[in-house]
Amino acid sequence: MSESVTEPYSQPEPPEPVLAAAAERGADWALIPPDVAAEPPSELRYRPVMHLAGSIGALVRSRAIVRSLTFRDLRSTYSQEVLGIAWALLGPVTLMVVFTFLEGRLGGGIDTQGVWYPVFAYVGILPWTFFANSVSGGGTSLVGNPLLNKVYAPREVFPIAKILSATVTLLCATVALAILFIIDGRLPSVTSYWVVPLLAILLVFAFGITLLISGLTVYLRDMRHAIPLLLQLGLFLTPIIYGMDEIDEPWQNVYVAVNPVAGVIDGMRRCLLYNQAPNLVFTAIAATAALVWALGAFLVFKRLETGFADVS
Amino acid sequence: MSREGEVVVDQVWKRFRVDRGRQLLRDHAKRAHGKIRGTAGDNPWRWVLRDISFSVEPGEAVGVVGANGAGKSTLLKIVNGLMFPHSGRVQTHGKVGAIIEVMSGIHSELTGRENINIYGNLLGLSRKQVAARFDEIVAFAEIEDAIDRQVKFYSSGMKVRLGFSVAAFLEPSILIVDEVLAVGDQSFQQKCLDRMRQVIQGGTTLLLVSHDLASVGATANRAIWLRDGLMMADGPVDDVLGGYRRAIERRAEESADVQGLVRVVDVQSQSLDGRPVATSQDCRVRLELESDHERSVRLFLGVSEGAATPIFVVRHVTTIPEGRTTIEIELDHLPLPPRSYFLWFSAYDRDDKAELTAWQPIGPFIVSGNMRLPPVPRAIVRLSPVFVAARWSKVS
Repeated sequence: MSESVTEPYSQPEPPEPVLAAAAERGADWALIPPDVAAEPPSELRYRPVMHLAGSIGALVRSRAIVRSLTFRDLRSTYSQEVLGIAWALLGPVTLMVVFTFLEGRLGGGIDTQGVWYPVFAYVGILPWTFFANSVSGGGTSLVGNPLLNKVYAPREVFPIAKILSATVTLLCATVALAILFIIDGRLPSVTSYWVVPLLAILLVFAFGITLLISGLTVYLRDMRHAIPLLLQLGLFLTPIIYGMDEIDEPWQNVYVAVNPVAGVIDGMRRCLLYNQAPNLVFTAIAATAALVWALGAFLVFKRLETGFADVS
Repeated sequence: MSREGEVVVDQVWKRFRVDRGRQLLRDHAKRAHGKIRGTAGDNPWRWVLRDISFSVEPGEAVGVVGANGAGKSTLLKIVNGLMFPHSGRVQTHGKVGAIIEVMSGIHSELTGRENINIYGNLLGLSRKQVAARFDEIVAFAEIEDAIDRQVKFYSSGMKVRLGFSVAAFLEPSILIVDEVLAVGDQSFQQKCLDRMRQVIQGGTTLLLVSHDLASVGATANRAIWLRDGLMMADGPVDDVLGGYRRAIERRAEESADVQGLVRVVDVQSQSLDGRPVATSQDCRVRLELESDHERSVRLFLGVSEGAATPIFVVRHVTTIPEGRTTIEIELDHLPLPPRSYFLWFSAYDRDDKAELTAWQPIGPFIVSGNMRLPPVPRAIVRLSPVFVAARWSKVS
């Protein structure tokens, strides 16, 4: 926020005659503020103290609020609809069908290394859908939220609740993956346990981006329109339709550093479909990038936080 | 001694941007350009709180009064930690619970039961604490039958009761209440005030914002008066509210340029023998009216305590000639304790009931004497400000 120089308060307060009279009679409750400065002395300026451990502690203490917000979000999103939680499946499945159709029409130009294309695409679609749901839901979770200046809790509880409800949606959408595996007659690879660290990287990255965007959106409302656009771009710039091999070898590391979701998806394909461990370089880069984003975003968020209630 | 429940507000300043209306790139560019050239244009900030300092002892009940926009709600939000001060420092000891505006936490797609659980959590109760109080909350809100129904099928009164009831069972060390008593029907309001008083008696510190001065007077023992972000007074509730009321009246008096087709030129009031108006005595109000032509009118005269809602109104139907007329109204056994009041007036046409002069204050009405309202039992929350002389006697 810019620090503009404030002009002296133009009209000096006229003393309240009622109070002047009371004070004359010796009433000590009547404060007559004759000389309140136009501006507070600068040494009084409130400076939020950045305290990472303290912030995390406060967040942990607010877990009941996070849980309630998540439940509230899921309940109100799905309970009133005929298809209910099935909508969580329909989005990614539709994408998968469209991609499969396109891939067929284009003559199977994408190298899936022998894996049935719907499975190949769906393993990419799942993490991306989670990421997109987090960012689009969480990104707008602060701006115009009536609870923002009603509920006393660290402000990150609102985006975090949206990330958690996106996580639940992700788990539901995984059902379709199981069905695809059965149709394909395929068993999960023995290396599947790698999914856990990969998901952790995804979660950390989604946390960072969602937090950052939610904070910025409070001040720059344009972001609300920019988010869907950016996510749509991301859908095609991330190896979902295609594999990592489509990217030139020397650029792959940079690519993963900029977009850790790419590293996660590549890792998931390797460990779920190809019976391999994820590429350790990619995974390490993605993990580092995700952590940097998350930490940076958290600090920026905490810096912006003091003004949220004033603006929103 | 533990300081739990203490609130210290130390030299707090807060400002808002005056205008966040248009935020186009063009506007930002213009602003940046102005800043570079040193012609900043209008001051974009407005101070809503200036140099506010006070401290509240554990167990005190403090009412905050002031006109709209005086900074009351902002002050409470800063104490609650929802907003951050620009300058200065706020310290609270112990758990802070706030009832700021009860509706926004209630989600209409969810059932009453779910809402109680969720809203309880949002207000800072753990799941166990909500469960322990669940039955009490439901009973307090009087929604036993509807508890498993979706809130969107509740009446608006039920919704408000639901929200308030959850908040009423927070049991914090510091309770912040912002203008929520204007909800529900009369009996529910009384219940809320009772509950608040019960909470205070349990040792909770209370910070209360309300425009209902009667309930501030009944609930708080200390009051703070804010005007334009400045603290005007801080002291015993009766003194501060008295000063505040007199200031409102004075302002009304200053603006009492009575408009309308029947104008009030002059007002005087005194007792029948020419002395100041006194409690339980007969008195006379003399109005000098001016009319543009002869009219058949219905006149209303009321007495209020600084608000548009009068304590009583008298009415008279008469005919007034063109020009000036003096009318006298005699009031028997004036049932008002000594205080400053305000006279209000309006005039209607007798036949077509058209408004000739709108309901407006026309002048002060000062009651003197040494009769005081008796102290009331604690269960009574609002006492109407009427003095009735009574003689008690033992018959057997």
